[in-house]
Amino acid sequence: MTTGSIIAADLILAVLAAAGWLGGGAAATTGRRRLATGLAILALLATLGRAATTVALARAGWWFAAEKVVIAAPLSLAAVAVGVRRTPMAMFFAGYAATGALLVTVLHGYPVSAGAALLAVAGVATATAVTWRLLHGRTSRTAVAVAVVALVGGTAFAVEPTAAADHDHRPVTASRAGEPTKRFVLTAGTTGDAWAFNGQVPGPQLDATVGDVVEVTLRNRDIERGVTLHWHGYDVPNDQDGVPGVTQDVVRPGQEFVYRFVADQAGSYWYHTHSASDIGVRKGLYGVLVVRPGRPTGVEVVVAYPARPPLTTTASQPGTPVRFRLINTDSVTHRYAVAGAPFTVVALDGRDLDSPSPLTNTVLAIPAGGRFDVVTTAPAALFVDGRPVRATGPLPPAPGAWPVLDPLTYGTASPPPWTRVDRTLTLVLDRGLDLRGRLPRYAHTVNGAADPGIPTQVVRRGEVVRLRIVNRSLVVHPWHLHGHHVLVLTRDGKPATGSPLWLDSFDVRPGEVWEVAFRADNPGLWANHCHNLPHADAGMMLHLRY
Amino acid sequence: MRRAFVILSGVTLAVFALQFVFAAVGAFTKPSSEDAYALHSITGMAVIPALTVLTTLTAVLAKAPGRLVGLTLLPLGLTLLQALLAALTGTFTDEAGGSTTVGLIIGGLHAVNGIVAVHVAVGVVRGASRLAQPARAGVEAAA
Repeated sequence: MTTGSIIAADLILAVLAAAGWLGGGAAATTGRRRLATGLAILALLATLGRAATTVALARAGWWFAAEKVVIAAPLSLAAVAVGVRRTPMAMFFAGYAATGALLVTVLHGYPVSAGAALLAVAGVATATAVTWRLLHGRTSRTAVAVAVVALVGGTAFAVEPTAAADHDHRPVTASRAGEPTKRFVLTAGTTGDAWAFNGQVPGPQLDATVGDVVEVTLRNRDIERGVTLHWHGYDVPNDQDGVPGVTQDVVRPGQEFVYRFVADQAGSYWYHTHSASDIGVRKGLYGVLVVRPGRPTGVEVVVAYPARPPLTTTASQPGTPVRFRLINTDSVTHRYAVAGAPFTVVALDGRDLDSPSPLTNTVLAIPAGGRFDVVTTAPAALFVDGRPVRATGPLPPAPGAWPVLDPLTYGTASPPPWTRVDRTLTLVLDRGLDLRGRLPRYAHTVNGAADPGIPTQVVRRGEVVRLRIVNRSLVVHPWHLHGHHVLVLTRDGKPATGSPLWLDSFDVRPGEVWEVAFRADNPGLWANHCHNLPHADAGMMLHLRY
Repeated sequence: MRRAFVILSGVTLAVFALQFVFAAVGAFTKPSSEDAYALHSITGMAVIPALTVLTTLTAVLAKAPGRLVGLTLLPLGLTLLQALLAALTGTFTDEAGGSTTVGLIIGGLHAVNGIVAVHVAVGVVRGASRLAQPARAGVEAAA
C-alpha cells in the first residue's frame, strides 16, 4: 500500500468512527439498543484501524502522522473510553470527539498546533453541552466551562501573529545581456473569449539558437488583469523572471516591458503570463520557447498541451528521425505515448539525459509545466491521454495499458556535482483552513500557511540547498522552483539511480517525499510554487531569497 | 419562526436538487476539466453548509423536537462526507493517474450519499411543515 492510499484509508476510517458513534447515539436515543451496540462496535473497529494507519503513517514520516498522534489519538481514546457505556449522551460525546479527531486532520493537520487542538476540544465541548441540554433539559456547567476556556485559549493561539511574507524586495539587476540578436514582440490582447499573444493561442513559438541574445517586447493591449512573461524552466536573471510584484511591476493595458536574456541553455521551454496566471494561462497567454544548439535535423514536432484532436499528420519518409518536443502547459499531469516505433527520451525539462535507452510500449507521464524531448523514427504517432494527436505516417494501433516510465531509474547515473549539502528546507504540502485573508478559505497550504502568509525562505549565495517536499494531501502537486533546475536526490527515501535528473517541474504525488537539491547561484527573490495554477492561486506559493 | 423553518428547509431542498444540475453541468462541459465543477463544489462546500446551519438554528428557535433538530444537522455531516468522498476519488489512481476500481467505487458512493442527503432534506421539510401546521390551525381558530 502506498503512503497516499494509507492517508486516504485513514480518512475513511476516521469518517466511519465518527459516523458509528453519532449513528449509535441517534439509535440509542430512539431506544434501538441492538443497533446502537452494532454501531458502537463499528466505531471501535474503525478506531482500531485508525491506530494501525497512524502507526503506518508515522513510519512513512512524522509529517504524515504528527497531528494524528498528538491530537486525534487522545480524542479517539476519549471517544472509546466514554462511548462504550452506550448511553445516548456517551455515544454522542464519542461521536463529537471522533469528528474532532477527523476535522483536525482535514482543517489544520500540519504543523501540530495548540490552537487547532484547543479549538477541537472547544467544538466537542460545545456540541456536548448543546446535546446535553436537548436530551436532559439541563445545562452541563462542566461542558460549557470547558468549551469557553478551550475556545478562548484556542483563539488566542490561532490569531498569534506570524511573520508575514516580505515581498518588498528589489530584484537583483543583472548586467544587461548585450545587443540582441533575436527580437520578438508579443502583444497580449483579448480575442473573443480568449486572451492571446499576437492574436493566436498558443502564442507564437519563439525559436532561438544557443548564444543568441533574445529580446522580447511585451505589450498589453487590453488585458485588464495585467500581463507578464515568465520563462518557464529558463533560468534567467531574477529581473527577467516575470513574476509581478516580486521581480517586476505588472504590465497594465497600454504599457510594455522589455525582456532580454542570453539563450545559453538549449532545450524545450515555454513562456506564460504570471499575472492572474491561472485564468491567464487557461485563456491562452502562453507559448513555446525552443532553444537549439544549431540547425535542426530531421523532423521536429512541437506539441504544447492542450493538443486537441483532430489528428495532424506530417507525412515523412520512413526512417527519418523525428523529435517530439512534448510540453505540458496544462495544470495537471497528462499521459503521452509514442507508438509505431521505438523511442528514446533524450531530455527532460530542457536538460539532456545520460545514455537513455530505447523504449517501447511505455507511457510518459508529464507533470504540469514539464517537458519531455523524445526521439524516434518515422512512421510514428503520438497519443495524448489515449487519443492520437500527431502522426508522421499511417496510424499505428492505440496504446494499451502500458507501464509508465519512471525517470528516476532511466539512463546512467553519475555522482552529483557537489559533495555536501549546506542547508535543508522542508515544505509540507497539505490543505487547510486559512483565516488570514478577508474571507476564510480552504487553502492549499505549505507548512500550514497559505500565500501571502508563508514566510520567505532565505538561503545564502553559493550554498547547496536541499529541498524536501512532503505531500500530505490527497492530490498531486507539480512543484516548480523559479530560476533553478533542481537535481533529484531521493524519492520516498530511495535514491535516484538513473541519469542525473535536472528538473524544474516534478510531480509530488500524495504521500510522497522528494528530496532535490540546487546550488544557489542565481541570486534574487524567486517564486517557489505548485504549478497546478488553481492550487497556486489557492495559497500554494512561497518565495526563496538570497 | 416555524414559517422561517419551513421556508429555509424548502430552500435547502431546492439547492440540493440544483446540486444534481450542477453536477451534470460539470460532467457535460467540454473540454472536461475540474473547473467545470466550480459551481457544484462552491454550492456543496459553502452554500449548503451555511443553509444547513441556518435551518438548524431556525429549528431550535422554532422549538422543534430534538429529533427534528438532529435531522436538520445530519445534512452537514453528509455534506462533509460528500466533500471527502470527492477528494478521495483522486487518491485512488493508478501510476499513470487513471481511475481505478476502488476510486470509482468511492466516486459512486459520492452519488449514493447525495441521494441519501436529499432524502434527509425531504424529511426535514416534512417535519418542518408538520410543525407549522398546528400553529396555522391555531391562528385560524383564533381568527
